[in-house]
Amino acid sequence: MTAHEDLFTEIKAGYPKLEKDRAQVEPYLTLKVLAKDVAAFFAFLKDTLGFDYLDMVTAVDWKGPVNRLGYITEPNPNPFLPDGATPQVQQAPAAPNVAYRESFEVVYLASALSRGRKVMVKAEVPRNSPNLPSLAGLYKTADWQEREVYDLLGVTFDGHPNLKKILTPDFIQGHPLRKDYVHQKDRYDD
Amino acid sequence: MGVVLEKLPGISGRVPGGEIVLTTADAIIGWGRKSSVWPLTFGLACCAIEMMGSYASRFDFDRMGVIPRPTPRQADVMIIAGTVVKKMADPIIQIYHQMPEPRFVISMGSCANCGGPYYDSYSVVKGVDKIIPVDIYIGGCPPRPEALQYAVIKLQEKISRMKLKNTHGATFQQAKGSREL
Repeated sequence: MTAHEDLFTEIKAGYPKLEKDRAQVEPYLTLKVLAKDVAAFFAFLKDTLGFDYLDMVTAVDWKGPVNRLGYITEPNPNPFLPDGATPQVQQAPAAPNVAYRESFEVVYLASALSRGRKVMVKAEVPRNSPNLPSLAGLYKTADWQEREVYDLLGVTFDGHPNLKKILTPDFIQGHPLRKDYVHQKDRYDD
Repeated sequence: MGVVLEKLPGISGRVPGGEIVLTTADAIIGWGRKSSVWPLTFGLACCAIEMMGSYASRFDFDRMGVIPRPTPRQADVMIIAGTVVKKMADPIIQIYHQMPEPRFVISMGSCANCGGPYYDSYSVVKGVDKIIPVDIYIGGCPPRPEALQYAVIKLQEKISRMKLKNTHGATFQQAKGSREL
């Protein structure tokens, strides 16, 4: 834990308006950054502290409450049920430790390979306008990872050189990992 | 000639003199087809691991005349071993059309049969029979190599029942219209 504190004070010395995230992800030091500061913060991490490798970019949808399958429920959410079937809505009890909110949380994990240190960074964007600056100019690995986040959750990364779908086929409408995703039947669904 | 008498005891008979054997065209062509069922080397998901196990020495698919071919042009049967996602559906149809007739399809495992655990997924085709006709289904998640070999035995029985007269050399599925797929 002292290594975490050392790293935190070292980062905070160069970037004062910084705070730890409420939910620490073991075994990393987890930091909270405002969405508009993400590009500047990672430029500082890379240039000053030698965090020269971006391990991972992913995102979390915090919309809630959700049913037992993890989806926002609607009267008849399963498109494969016949018309007029009984709605299958099972509401999960409200989890006491989870703060549902209308936002996506984009999670970054960066490494300083020369010193063997890692730091996890979270940035929160509202669901109705999910825009973040792209890190593809700083880290090459951010290119496809940000495309995946865009494809599955619909977070738009401004300044990305080639922001288009990477995993799902072109005829899939919407972003499937959003909690309120409703599947539109395509030509392979009867 | 001894092989023919052994394999087709009810159909061919020893003729006085022992120089010719009488049989039907259906029997001899079906015997040839079913004895060399060559599958396409093609795996989609974890069922392919069991399929590779069947080819390897412990289960030894070669003894049944099943030799994997690296190109659809030389293959008789396509083993759909794994989950068929919607993005993979078009290549599967293309490979199916590249195989020479008569061609057969074995659907291996729950995912290829009906979608399996991914039935509610946005990206999985709910059964490969929605896109190409299937001859043999194997249940299991994944099926054992014995199950795959039993499926090939069943496919051999099916092949040996094919009649040139009825279908002009087509398989049952092709006679039902899969050529116009």
